[in-house]
Amino acid sequence: MSTVPIESLLHHSHLRQNSKIYRGTRSFFIPCSLNLPSHFTSTKLLHSIRTSVGASSKHRRSVAVRASSSDTAVVETAQSDDVIFKENFPVQRIEKAEGKIYVRLKQVKENNWELSVGCSIPGKWILHWGVSYVGDTGSEWDQPPEDMRPPGSIAIKDYAIETPLKKLSEGDSFFEVAINLNLDSSVAALNFVLKDEETGAWYQHKGRDFKVPLVDDVPDNGNLIGAKKGFGAIGQLANIPLEQDKSSGEVQKKSESSSDSTKERKGLQEFYEEMPISKRVADDNSVSVTARKCSETSKNIVSIETDLPGDVTVHWGVCKNGSKKWEIPSEPYPEDTSLFKNKALRTRLQRKDDGSGSFGLFSLDGKLEGLCFVLKLNENTWLNYRGEDFYVPFLTSSSSVVETEATEAAQVSKHSKKTDKEVSASGFTDEIITEIRNLANDIHSHKNQKTNVKEVHENILQEIEKLAAEAYSIFRSTTPSFSEESILEAEAEKPDIKISSGTGSGFEILCQGFNWESNKSGRWYLELQEKADELASLGFTVLWLPPPTESVSPEGYMPKDLYNLNSRYGTIDELKDTVKKFHKVGIKVLGDAVLNHRCAHFKNQNGVWNLFGGRLNWDDRAIVADDPHFQGRGNKSSGDNFHAAPNIDHSQDFVRKDIKEWLCWMMEEVGYDGWRLDFVRGFWGGYVKDYMDASKPYFAVGEYWDSLSYTYGEMDYNQDAHRQRIVDWINATSGATGAFDVTTKGILHTALQKCEYWRLSDPKGKPPGVVGWWPSRAVTFIENHDTGSTQGHWRFPEGKEMQGYAYILTHPGTPAVFFDHIFSDYHPEIAALLSLRNRQKLHCRSEVNIDKCERDVYAAIIDDKVAMKIGPGHYEPPNGSKNWSVAVEGRDYKVWETS
Amino acid sequence: MEVSVIGNPQARICRAELAYRELGFRFGSDVISGESRNRVSFCNQSSKWKEIAIRCSSRSVKCEAIVSGAASPFLKSTPKSKSLESVKLFVGLPLDTVSDCNNVNHLKAITAGLKALKLLGVEGIELPIFWGVVEKEAAGKYEWSGYLAVAEIVKKVGLKLHASLSFHGSKQTEIGLPDWVAKIGDAEPGIYFTDRYGQQYKDCLSFAVDDVPVLDGKTPMEVYRGFCESFKSAFADYMGNTITGITLGLGPDGELKYPSHQHNAKLSGAGEFQCYDKHMLSALKGYAESTGNPLWGLGGPHDAPAYDQQPNSSSFFSDGGSWESQYGDFFLSWYSSLLTSHADRVLSVASSAFSGIGVPLCGKLPLLHQWHKLRSHPSELTAGFYSSNGQDRYEAIAEIFAKNSCRMIIPGMDLSDEHQSPESLSSPESLLGHIKTSCKKQGVVVSGQNSSTPVPGGFERIVENLKDENVGIDLFTYQRMGALFFSPEHFHAFTVFVRNLSQFELSSDDQASEAEVEAETASIGSGTGAPSLQTA
Repeated sequence: MSTVPIESLLHHSHLRQNSKIYRGTRSFFIPCSLNLPSHFTSTKLLHSIRTSVGASSKHRRSVAVRASSSDTAVVETAQSDDVIFKENFPVQRIEKAEGKIYVRLKQVKENNWELSVGCSIPGKWILHWGVSYVGDTGSEWDQPPEDMRPPGSIAIKDYAIETPLKKLSEGDSFFEVAINLNLDSSVAALNFVLKDEETGAWYQHKGRDFKVPLVDDVPDNGNLIGAKKGFGAIGQLANIPLEQDKSSGEVQKKSESSSDSTKERKGLQEFYEEMPISKRVADDNSVSVTARKCSETSKNIVSIETDLPGDVTVHWGVCKNGSKKWEIPSEPYPEDTSLFKNKALRTRLQRKDDGSGSFGLFSLDGKLEGLCFVLKLNENTWLNYRGEDFYVPFLTSSSSVVETEATEAAQVSKHSKKTDKEVSASGFTDEIITEIRNLANDIHSHKNQKTNVKEVHENILQEIEKLAAEAYSIFRSTTPSFSEESILEAEAEKPDIKISSGTGSGFEILCQGFNWESNKSGRWYLELQEKADELASLGFTVLWLPPPTESVSPEGYMPKDLYNLNSRYGTIDELKDTVKKFHKVGIKVLGDAVLNHRCAHFKNQNGVWNLFGGRLNWDDRAIVADDPHFQGRGNKSSGDNFHAAPNIDHSQDFVRKDIKEWLCWMMEEVGYDGWRLDFVRGFWGGYVKDYMDASKPYFAVGEYWDSLSYTYGEMDYNQDAHRQRIVDWINATSGATGAFDVTTKGILHTALQKCEYWRLSDPKGKPPGVVGWWPSRAVTFIENHDTGSTQGHWRFPEGKEMQGYAYILTHPGTPAVFFDHIFSDYHPEIAALLSLRNRQKLHCRSEVNIDKCERDVYAAIIDDKVAMKIGPGHYEPPNGSKNWSVAVEGRDYKVWETS
Repeated sequence: MEVSVIGNPQARICRAELAYRELGFRFGSDVISGESRNRVSFCNQSSKWKEIAIRCSSRSVKCEAIVSGAASPFLKSTPKSKSLESVKLFVGLPLDTVSDCNNVNHLKAITAGLKALKLLGVEGIELPIFWGVVEKEAAGKYEWSGYLAVAEIVKKVGLKLHASLSFHGSKQTEIGLPDWVAKIGDAEPGIYFTDRYGQQYKDCLSFAVDDVPVLDGKTPMEVYRGFCESFKSAFADYMGNTITGITLGLGPDGELKYPSHQHNAKLSGAGEFQCYDKHMLSALKGYAESTGNPLWGLGGPHDAPAYDQQPNSSSFFSDGGSWESQYGDFFLSWYSSLLTSHADRVLSVASSAFSGIGVPLCGKLPLLHQWHKLRSHPSELTAGFYSSNGQDRYEAIAEIFAKNSCRMIIPGMDLSDEHQSPESLSSPESLLGHIKTSCKKQGVVVSGQNSSTPVPGGFERIVENLKDENVGIDLFTYQRMGALFFSPEHFHAFTVFVRNLSQFELSSDDQASEAEVEAETASIGSGTGAPSLQTA
């Protein structure tokens, strides 16, 4: 397959709004990553697409099943049918459009040149551009002179212009924009990226802005277009051969006068370059499923209807015994059905007459429990529902289950268990084989290496940690005499206030000091400084600053040179000042450390960007080996991979040594007190412990963000598996860091949005998030720069933010408040809650007693001195010896304190 | 975020699963099927995985083995480690591993825990086996199923098993003596230890009834023998291979002692003498008469302090007090002789019952370190450790152990003097040294244990004790697995301890690269696995 699926990016928190365009060549392909933020605004629409491994089709052999009319199931359509299941599943199909982008520079008159940029894929294309002037250093943009701006341009902030691309004429296949360049001006280079308004995706050049140099000495960061150096991959694409300019060395570097600048430009040549581009367009379709029970024949009739275009094949099986293992039902089958490897059936849906989609009817034995299916659009495109098989349950009462078991068991007995269980795996079989082979190869190839020992040990260590965490969680919950918190927390609490990097003092309140747009002003540090006094007086104790390093993306999450702390947020000196300022007002400062990945400076001999520059000039040994796009030569990743940039191999000693050194340097140089650790799913928690031991932060928190569990689109009540994964990670760090309580955020979403406040207590009467299991390490939050802000990947239910804050600011755990919320209309209410938390000395280990947890109201009493309720329902704290007075009140929430 | 994708993440889970198999499921030739941990939908791997499972030789998973095979020059440079390296580390299973209705409690946790310990390089596991669970209902009716199940898990994980046969009850787990014994005790309370207030200690039979047929016409020793023999036959398959040690319960809490601290509310006192049950009193009377002092046989010392009193608050234990008098010597000699002879009886019964199976037997002593700095050693006296004329009070015991070729387990190896409260006049270190010396004189092999609750500086102290060249301790049992044991704080400390024991810094890269380890750590079981999957 020549394309690399972007799906793996979609669940990643760092999906930034930037994308890259890589020069595709025949020998390798770099992912063209782009996200589709607009589709993530509502969690309801989320679902996924599966792309099977290309080679798999070779191994698939379908066995045709006789489908003569006599055998074909006759679909009964009795009027008396009871509808037992009806659901409309939204599905998203992502189509890839391929095309090209061209960049052309041509001379119109002597000093009048024209740069045109075009794109062949339909869309609302915007050229987002700026210029660099002669004498500019760094990567900042400036606004171009007025006379360069084509009509229709809009100025964005003070450094960029947005100009839409247009079709020049109807028959034209290209969307184009042309910019007139007057070379008498002192413009040294033109910088741009392409933006697709429809999808919000940004297209960059090799992970950076496109840069068209108009003078010779524009520093080449590998992103020049039409430059004389570093043609490499461009050479074969460029239609106009370009000659090496011999005179470039003679060009005077220092010159301000226009005449000189003309002289410099004598090497400027016309060029035309094309680059392939691919864009993924998501189409929203739906699959509606209706199941009826036919009372006459006691059969279940399932109708599947979809508006997906083209041939749609349903890959299905039936379920029994309460498990979702696929089994083959007895014949007859619907028309156009084939048996797939004895494990599943494939039925092609019939096209509707009006061409608006397809439908199919399935008549199934009434005793079955359900129907599982996925949809197959073509060899490589499968659709499922939010990562799970579609599931249509038939049984409404459990009474008939037993009967089903007995009869079905006999019927299906000829299918051995083995094959039955493998059914759902069939789609992955090839991937599994690949994985096994890789593993086997790895072990073989390592056989004679000395590193083997170390690697084996690290694997073993990881395994030990995992097992111990597992044992711990079970013992903890099954040992009756063990009260969940007491022993664990008692140990940590021996000295009254013990500072530990996982908890700080225990009384911390975090402020996230930036949002997704903060980089735009270029002077965020300075702007933030002005707010220091206010943030301190609100009661915050810890401030989380944006990632400070040089970054390929303006937001900072694509770090490049870790020792270059000049970023879109400001210079290193401004950063230091800011930290000092906050220290002065008594606020500790966290640095945002992106340790999972790092963008490369140079290409290797294969043209892959995997060689680093700067002070940490690592080579490809610092990159994990299991991401094919970056040809890393390190070990396999100890966590998940983030595919947009080379993932750092933390198992390498030199990498760890360098990172520790860097963290210590940041502490020393900038004055950071601790860390917010980005994408810690990407590497083993044990390494994090190592880093914490080395840098000794006052407070640290990791971002371990993965998906909660859903069944049929409903969030499951029990999210123990989700919080267990977070707790496991904290465990792996030996409690040296806290972690964002994603579980609590997720459950609050559903509870508040759907008025299902009963979700807010787990079966043991504790909070259902990480905060219920390990409160001292849970950093509760309701929004951050990814979930909210202008990205909105997973936005907290709108209008209900204060209920969220009423919850996290009264509950144990360390609460984190998002910048946007502080400086919004919620300001007074948040201030009141913060003041209450500090006044009543609530802390990360406060004891919470859930007093009421019903459909429309949740109420809890914390440390016997604060009572709170959220939800529209009624609640009053118990009248007793305590004298409750209302402390804060707002829409659907109320907080009391004892006086 | 809620988006998940079929393709990649699953592949990743596969990998995680593989790694799990690789490390956790194959050790040497033992195949552990384990319960299914899948979160992935392909459930039935047992057949396919078997073929492609990766074998780790025991060398690769046992840290100490790597060191021993690899870096001997390194070891020579640190002579201390020589003795440490030979220490085998065991970890105790929870006391309530098998419930009194023969269920295995927290099976999953134990399974995971055992795997973790195996990977960590722990040698084996100590399993407390309660009389009250196995022979619960009726005399001679043994039910081993729960413990057999545990032994099987231990065997599959590839660990050794050390069985502790416990003839006592445990308040902590609410496992008492067998029901039928308790019934007899209700009718005949004289079978229990009794203090001077007439209170019975119902978790252990009195030493005085050892050879009295109080249990449905059988003596406790006969019953214990039956128990041992039943154990031997029930676990015949495990003897010598998985089971590498058997500890005999010698008294309350399994330790050789009188239950002198019945009410250990504060442990402030020295404890009280437990000689007031019917059989004790009559034995005392007989002994007094035979030694010509019939008046001394009417009861225990009248001037001993109560449970909650300081030892020197009354005259018995004070300097020049009754304990040093002729009466004191008479009483204490008799009192301690019962303890010594009880040890002899149990150990002889066991050594004859287990003769020929080649599994070493052990007995456990208490470490009664409180008030050790008083000349009278009151805590030891009330528990039954005394020797007249200032002779070594532990030597007679050690002699019994030597006679029966038994190892001696000494607990409290994690205790250090500096962490004891000064008022208790306690000295665990010197007492431990004393017992070790006694054992050395008698040629008794010593095994170590820690005290059951973690203490500050405990691990360091254990390492020091194990390093002691004077008495070579070659086996240490760490007590005890459970929630606290696996809590992040504690487990991390334990991991460090294990590494220190084996002198192997897993995290140190230098050593790893220096180590010229034979590359036999991993080999692929069969190459046919993958192709067969394709066609499946």
